[in-house]
Amino acid sequence: MAPLIVNEIISPDTNLLIALLIGIGFGFVLESSGFSSSRKLAGMFYGYDTTVLKVFFTAAITAMVGMLFFSLFGWMDLSYIYVNPTYLTSAMVGGTVMGVGFIVGGFCPGTAFCALSIGKLDALAFVGGLVLGIIIFTEGYPLWEDMYKADFMGTPTMNELLDIPRGVFALGMILVAFAMFWVGEWAEKKFPREEY
Amino acid sequence: MKMRLIIASVLIPLGIIIAAVPENTTKPFRLTAGELLEEVCEGTQFVSTDEIADMLVQKDPSLQLIDVRTQAEFEKYSLPGSVNIPLSDLLSEEWSDFLDQGVKMNVFYSNGNLKANEAWMISRQLGFENNYVLQGGLNYWAETIMNPQAPKSVLADDEIAKYDFRKGTSMALGGGSMVAIGSKANNTPKPKIKKRKKKKKVAGGC
Repeated sequence: MAPLIVNEIISPDTNLLIALLIGIGFGFVLESSGFSSSRKLAGMFYGYDTTVLKVFFTAAITAMVGMLFFSLFGWMDLSYIYVNPTYLTSAMVGGTVMGVGFIVGGFCPGTAFCALSIGKLDALAFVGGLVLGIIIFTEGYPLWEDMYKADFMGTPTMNELLDIPRGVFALGMILVAFAMFWVGEWAEKKFPREEY
Repeated sequence: MKMRLIIASVLIPLGIIIAAVPENTTKPFRLTAGELLEEVCEGTQFVSTDEIADMLVQKDPSLQLIDVRTQAEFEKYSLPGSVNIPLSDLLSEEWSDFLDQGVKMNVFYSNGNLKANEAWMISRQLGFENNYVLQGGLNYWAETIMNPQAPKSVLADDEIAKYDFRKGTSMALGGGSMVAIGSKANNTPKPKIKKRKKKKKVAGGC
């Protein structure tokens, strides 16, 4: 049955509408759970607040388990699911740039807009920097095109690279996630900081 | 703390289940062995050579002939407008758009029935629709369409009508040229077209 667009159950336009509704819900939940505070987000890197890790990893493993069960029941054809192609070099460089920006600015792109919507000035500065970065990247594209396209690996998934069954990898992922939550909560006790 | 325990007690058992079950236990739209057997017994997949000849002559756009023989055989002789999907390549990604679709009428053919029917069975088992088999294959095609034998005159009118139809399509599809099939063919001479000279208007004038 799913994916709904591939099987022409809904049209791409309806899909955009649904995406808009989900996006509004996502933004609302992000804001109401405190993700518009750059201190909360940066706390991830200092150890005093690991909410980011817990929320996003819980979302990831919930979605993963859900999709695997949908596939098991024959509701969803996973071979039609979009897998982002891997360019190893640009993934590492881009990840570093994004990570540094995350620590320095205290936002990731999504939460920056979330914070901007409630009128935070630091978020405005962050979004300004984001736009600046986009302009620099696109205008200077010929300079880093080679690096951008280096080490193309196709669309591998982790379980294919490790050559283990999908389900076993999923179980491992869940266990790793809960181990990280445990470490995170230990860190929160170890490096406490006042709630702002 | 408590929340984490609740989430863990839900997700970890689910993860164990997912790790324990095999991947892809259910493939949607697949036929069961019983359903396939029923279709095989009914033989609904077969299309007669006459029907195909008629569609070819009328240039029916919905017809897609698929040659499942090897490429060498395909290059030697093939039906007009057919594509070559050797049986060994049937499952390659390249052809999935051809085989799994709901618009055209795919007709597999090989020399006899066997290979084409095998291709049909595999594609049908995958749940693909609109795939058929040319009854009797190219051998029967050559026998009935390319070099039709005149029926005995005592036979019923419809037999003779069938023969006339076959003779007509044979001419339209370049019959008689298939000497390789065995029978000493070339008994269907092409009608000579007398070219009449067009009358031209007298050119010139003042």
